[in-house]
Amino acid sequence: MIETIIEKRSGGNETLKNTTRTKLIIKGYHPDRWTLQSEDDPAKITELRQIALDMGVKL
Amino acid sequence: MQRNLPDHGALLCILPVRPDVDQQGDVRCIRGAQVIGCSTAGEIVSGRVLKDSIVAMAFDDRTVRDAAFSVVTDVTSPDSLADAARRLGEDIGTPLGELDFRKYVGIILIDGLSGSEERVMDRLGDLTNVTFIGGSAGDDLKFESTYVYLNGAAYTNAAVLALLEPAGKFDIIKTQSFKALKATLVPTKVNEERREVIEFNNRPAALAYAGALGVPPEDASKRFMRNPVGLVTGDDIFVRSPRQIEGDSIFFYCMVKEGMELALLESTDIVADTRRAVEEKVRQLAGASALINFHCILRALELEGNGQDKEYGALFAGIPTIGFSTYGEEYIGHINQTSTMLVFK
Repeated sequence: MIETIIEKRSGGNETLKNTTRTKLIIKGYHPDRWTLQSEDDPAKITELRQIALDMGVKL
Repeated sequence: MQRNLPDHGALLCILPVRPDVDQQGDVRCIRGAQVIGCSTAGEIVSGRVLKDSIVAMAFDDRTVRDAAFSVVTDVTSPDSLADAARRLGEDIGTPLGELDFRKYVGIILIDGLSGSEERVMDRLGDLTNVTFIGGSAGDDLKFESTYVYLNGAAYTNAAVLALLEPAGKFDIIKTQSFKALKATLVPTKVNEERREVIEFNNRPAALAYAGALGVPPEDASKRFMRNPVGLVTGDDIFVRSPRQIEGDSIFFYCMVKEGMELALLESTDIVADTRRAVEEKVRQLAGASALINFHCILRALELEGNGQDKEYGALFAGIPTIGFSTYGEEYIGHINQTSTMLVFK
């Protein structure tokens, strides 16, 4: 899910991928620490969906 | 300054100013120029670190092709930020969210006592891919009142946004002089609004921090400047500086999110690191015509304490430079003990 947000927000641009990744880490969502268990956490999923919305990304 | 402006006038003037100086008359005298500024905790100009000074840099259309300005009049209000962002887009002719980050850059000057920098930077980052870089206004370590300025009007609890279309190449330097140690501290209980960490690693924060350093708890606060903590993202570090201990909690100069793994940091050589960063960027750009330095007051104090402030100022002797000592720096998020710099080719 995090990688989808990065990909869609960046449009594939490598610089924007890095910036978006950093923005998400600062928001508390580190791609390297997003696990299969995270995908089952309703609270995290809800928050991440809101983050995507705030960033103008349609999931 | 007015005498030295070219006939086509100045598009933009950046003016870090003294908190106790009424310069509204001065700024109105710079005809044809948009003027932004803020109160500071010290100033920088080409080759020198200053105190009790006013520094200014004027840009004409050979360096900045176009610019737009707005004020977030209430940094606690999402609507105020949205309005300011919308006005920038209207003035520049394209919505902020559609601008090419390679052609535009933003400057943000924000009330350094507002406690709102994180929210503002977070939301700005949602609204646009354009990088906004800047600093938190200071007031000479009085911590009473800081100001941001746009065209002669002073604001508190506010932020000034400047959106620039540089005429040539530009780039950003973010430099902080720390290395990550092996110890990690995970905030397991926090009060984000108060920038308070109550527990690290499920232990009282002050005890956990002291334990990670291997020092008695009563000595922990003496290590704050040398050993802050940082969010490590790849090969970059976003520093979070501890401010004080109250009870067993540690209060920081920026918000720390619960669950965010932080590395314990150890300071390195500010002058050497900054020299390397500036030289590399100037090499990449094949020259620099202007540099704006948003320089953390904690770095300034460390340099002064080590007798290195003149040496630091001298790093910028060969580049037209202004800057100021900030109560925090802005680059993607709100950070501490960092210099963020905008460099124009």
